[in-house]
Amino acid sequence: MTPRSRDTPPQGQLASIETSDGGATLRLAGDWRLPRVQAVTAALTALPKPARVVAVDGGSLTGLDTAGALVALRYLQRIGADPKSAAPRNFTPHHQRIIELVAGQLAELPAIGKAHSRGFFTTAGRDVVAFADLLVSYVQFLGYTAAGIGTLVLHPWRLRLKELAAQFQQVGITAIPVVVLVTFLIGVVIAYLLGLQAEKYGASIFVVDGVAIGMAREFSPILVAVIIAGRSGAAFTAQLGTMKLTEETDAIRVLGLSPMDVLILPRVFAIVVALPLLVFLGDVMGILGGMLMAKTTLGIIPATYIERLHAALHLKHVVAGLVKAPVFAFFIAIIGIRMGMTVSRDTRAIGVNTTSTVVQSIVSVILLDALFAVVFEKLGI
Amino acid sequence: MLAAGKDVILEVDSIVTRFGAQTIHNGVSFSVPRGQLVALIGGSGTGKSVLLREIIGLMRPTAGTVRLLGTDVWKASAAELSKVRSRFGMMFQDGALFSSLDVAHNVAVPLLEHTDLAPELIWPLVQLRIAQAGLSPDTGAKMPSELSGGMRKRAAIARALALEPEVIFLDEPTSGLDPITARAFDKLVRFLVDDLGVTVFLVTHDLDTLLTVVDRLIVLAKGKVLADGSVREVMETSDAWVQSYFSVRTMLGGGNDAHAS
Repeated sequence: MTPRSRDTPPQGQLASIETSDGGATLRLAGDWRLPRVQAVTAALTALPKPARVVAVDGGSLTGLDTAGALVALRYLQRIGADPKSAAPRNFTPHHQRIIELVAGQLAELPAIGKAHSRGFFTTAGRDVVAFADLLVSYVQFLGYTAAGIGTLVLHPWRLRLKELAAQFQQVGITAIPVVVLVTFLIGVVIAYLLGLQAEKYGASIFVVDGVAIGMAREFSPILVAVIIAGRSGAAFTAQLGTMKLTEETDAIRVLGLSPMDVLILPRVFAIVVALPLLVFLGDVMGILGGMLMAKTTLGIIPATYIERLHAALHLKHVVAGLVKAPVFAFFIAIIGIRMGMTVSRDTRAIGVNTTSTVVQSIVSVILLDALFAVVFEKLGI
Repeated sequence: MLAAGKDVILEVDSIVTRFGAQTIHNGVSFSVPRGQLVALIGGSGTGKSVLLREIIGLMRPTAGTVRLLGTDVWKASAAELSKVRSRFGMMFQDGALFSSLDVAHNVAVPLLEHTDLAPELIWPLVQLRIAQAGLSPDTGAKMPSELSGGMRKRAAIARALALEPEVIFLDEPTSGLDPITARAFDKLVRFLVDDLGVTVFLVTHDLDTLLTVVDRLIVLAKGKVLADGSVREVMETSDAWVQSYFSVRTMLGGGNDAHAS
């Protein structure tokens, strides 16, 4: 009863449908390879929807690769034909193998395999859990380090002076130029800023109070801690992370050494000792910077400046600044070392952890400073 | 295009490489026809990897020419080179997967960069490549750091296959793999050549790979091609290095060339 229709493919057409009594035949022609996939897909979309495809004819194909085969088989799937029941005809043996290969794996391929993106709540939940894990692991690491320090107190000869000296050189000595430069300039800037205001009230001399107390209590500790967090905290993470990645930390353990003694404690002590010294240097440089500015813009000669300094800068201000430094240092060390020791097995993690170290250290320095401000205020210091 | 297996895929002509006073290659020449599985071997420091980097356009040789897929790699313009790059794949020794992307996105990179396919075609194609490389479908969502050495290499080969290249370069494909995984990898490589018609050029030290799947062997020594031919032909070379290279195999009773030198 069905009228026999026959659509002969025009020259250059990539796909055509040929209908006969037994069912339709999908005829593929031309180049069915990856660079042409766009055209091939368009040709298939333009085809009339056939009733029942019983065969695929590849006799006129000039090229076929797995991408082309995938497009053809997915087309059959889409129009409701089982790719396996459509008999392949006239394919070259090579093309036949490619068709079979792709058909064999077709079932496992996702219908529309869009990239798996996570929803907002999933991401937020993961972040919260990750943050909680981070806090817990800091507590653990703090305990681990405390135990290490305790052991060292009982067995002081286990302190590795050579590593400690090397780390002190890295953290302290080589940081001197940048600390000197930054704190001196900040001293200059503060003196200038205060001078503009104080001059209006004829109170130029109080610029000395402002510079000295400001530098000693806040600016020098904060600035130096931020510099060291960026310099040494990041370096700790990068060094230890690389050592972890190249299994050096494991080698240390296997050789019967303790990573705590060799890697962790020297770094902690070096930074805890170096930071107060650098802060003191920062105090001096800031005050000198202020002195330069006071001379050039306010006409306060150095002798007057120093005389006022004696009256204004009480020891307690300097001590308040210096007391903060080791605490900042300890946190920077703990963060930098822990982030380095927990680098996972790929190189990207070193970069991620190093960035994270700098952010965490700076934030914790500021938080600690605020905490100190509250405590000092209550104590009346 | 697919017609004859006669056309030449790669032609290396009198390559000279010097690092300072040290000469690595002193006139290396060979050519690789379409559809062959060719292995390059040589002792440590003979510049196998350097040669591979010179072939794929990562490192300029001191002198000599490299014609890859009909293009002179070191004279071609950036545009021509970019075209050639989409026609070959490279698997680096440790995979060189992008560590910030999961496996599926790693495989998708060449497809996203070199084609303008619709996403609903790219992702099934990515899954097909992952399956072709012998990885399970759920591997796509994993990060490279979560993969074992063998899986990394398979993921790397899936990425190298993404654009269905005409030729694939493999740097030490079986190094660091256990023998079973390594043999499975050999089969995968052989399958690429036999079923997909890909030409494969690999650098290896794995004797089992050489003896079971390779069509042709090129031996690099003293800056030159020392021997070039089927594995059997190369094994019959009287050169001392080649002899000792294969003697391990002979001692184990696996090889059957009992020629006294």
